[in-house]
Amino acid sequence: MFPLDYHALLPEIILAVTVLVTLVVDLTTRKKYLVALTAMVGLFAAFVPVLTLAFCDSLEFCAAAGVDRVLFGGSYVVDGYALVFKGLFIFAAFIALLLSIGYLEADRYYEGEYYFLLIASALGAVVMASSRDFVSMIVALELVSGPAFLLAGWRKGDPRSNEAALKFFITGIIALSLLLFGVSLLYGLTGTIQFDQIAVASMAVADLPLFTLAVIFVLLGFGFKVSAVPFHFWTPDTYEGAPKPVTAWIAVGSKAAGFVGLLTVAYLAFPGVTEVWGPVMWVLALLSMTVGNIVAIKQTNVIRLLGYSSIAQAGFMLAPFGAAAASGADSLSQVFAATVTYLVIFVVMNLGAFAVVIIIGSRVGSYEFEDWAGLNRYAPGLAIMLAVFFMSLAGIPPLAGWFAKFAVFQATIGVGNWWGYSIAIAAALNAVIAFVYYAKVLKPAFFDPVPKGVDVEALEAAEIPAPIGFALALTAFGVIVLGVFPGVAANLGQYTAQVVAALGG
Amino acid sequence: MAGTNAPIECKGSILVLNQYYDDYITVAAFMIMGFVLVGAAVMMSRAIAPRAPGGLKDVAYESGIEPIGEGWNQSHIRYYIFALLFLIFAVEAIFLFPWALQLEYFDSIGMGVFALVEMLVFLVILFLGLIYAIRKGVLKWE
Repeated sequence: MFPLDYHALLPEIILAVTVLVTLVVDLTTRKKYLVALTAMVGLFAAFVPVLTLAFCDSLEFCAAAGVDRVLFGGSYVVDGYALVFKGLFIFAAFIALLLSIGYLEADRYYEGEYYFLLIASALGAVVMASSRDFVSMIVALELVSGPAFLLAGWRKGDPRSNEAALKFFITGIIALSLLLFGVSLLYGLTGTIQFDQIAVASMAVADLPLFTLAVIFVLLGFGFKVSAVPFHFWTPDTYEGAPKPVTAWIAVGSKAAGFVGLLTVAYLAFPGVTEVWGPVMWVLALLSMTVGNIVAIKQTNVIRLLGYSSIAQAGFMLAPFGAAAASGADSLSQVFAATVTYLVIFVVMNLGAFAVVIIIGSRVGSYEFEDWAGLNRYAPGLAIMLAVFFMSLAGIPPLAGWFAKFAVFQATIGVGNWWGYSIAIAAALNAVIAFVYYAKVLKPAFFDPVPKGVDVEALEAAEIPAPIGFALALTAFGVIVLGVFPGVAANLGQYTAQVVAALGG
Repeated sequence: MAGTNAPIECKGSILVLNQYYDDYITVAAFMIMGFVLVGAAVMMSRAIAPRAPGGLKDVAYESGIEPIGEGWNQSHIRYYIFALLFLIFAVEAIFLFPWALQLEYFDSIGMGVFALVEMLVFLVILFLGLIYAIRKGVLKWE
């Protein structure tokens, strides 16, 4: 009677219902915290089936029930790879939600539709993780981006917020049209939009210049989404202008969704033609790391600095793609795992960095890090948290960031050709450059005296709002656990890489 | 069409590709012809038309009514919201027609209830959009 595997679709169904319920709750009550609460409950509820699906894999009776988690004729697949990222996206949306609650109340803009849009964007990301053809992937990508465009312009009266939304929107549309153009060429060449079929059909047309063009268009479309240099121009302005919790979502959730799309397309649709896209990604990785880092050194605003830092991090995540050029099927799954490992750690530590920056920024009333001088005199706890996340971003053990970088080095060198060696050397040099600007933020906070005219007692007395404090605690816990037990992230990487390994074998 | 079934041999795919480019040659030919024809018409009229400038020739519409007032005109922003609301019903109709045509077929293979429930879900989602608009006072004309 009902031919769908509803268990496999449950996270999406719950999120979709949550989207509608938040809208209804917003209409029926003036107490806006109820809307946030609904959204939070929905995210929790959606996380449950992700867990049951993940453990169903290893249980005899569940797998024996004949549940094939390939839906809609192969367009939608719920496998380990999809589940890891569904969980990650729900986590990211949850943290973004926690960051938003206090911020929006202080901001006095509309609240109800905000949560509605945030959950809708999260739903898009969750769908993205399972998409295995171009149509569902583009729908998912737009479901992530569409609400994010609106959220970026949330502060209607603020010209900067408007500028942020407009820049984000225009580049988003350009990216989409590039992507669609590439997809149309691919469809013309292979006669299919499904990834596994493209993987087979592309072998026959791999030598054609038109095919190269199509692949490059598709990957460049994603290049905008993950803000790789030279498609990064929107990033700092959008990050600075958008409301800060939205920035956290765009910089982490939306970006990770872009990376998931890139991973799926590159490794599942074009696994046999790495020599076509590998060199392109190598160039993008090199440019993103270098330009992102060098420009970040000159920044004085912490949010812009995090923007450029995230461009550089995108470069690190692209480095394994670059090393994939001319590599065998075995090392293909290794470079895939490295990007996934980095992505998992990136999500946790960047959300944490945004959480602590938002707390400090709203307390001090400025996002210029020179104004944070003497932070450790009046808020030692926050100063330590700032140090934890920025040192993690810089890659200092035992915080999670070091393992992310280590995984990238290991995979790129492990490929064993000059594509891999060269990008590993570039990444190592960049890791050193990156340390400069992360330390630059910490220096005034720890070593400079409190500026004159600052009411230290008021700053000391200020309290951290509970939701955002909880977000900070969660991410700090995550960063420390992932740093001390790097096996967790590495196993997630290997677990997801099965999807690529299965292809090679 | 250029598309073929999945695995194609190399030689065959070159053929496919040639067809693919051929399609573009048609497009290019049309474009070139378009430019040539329009260009020819303009040049021709330039060459053979008699010229008598001045007088009535200088008014905006040679044989129409003189325009009055400004070229810009304000239309109420609310029209745009009504257009959006119209979209709800347009989308609804687009999906309802093929669904209604196929419902008997779905019933015959035992999926009638499934098809009905799926469409109801879709309608409820769209209906919520309408309720939202009404609650926000969009339909009030002030």
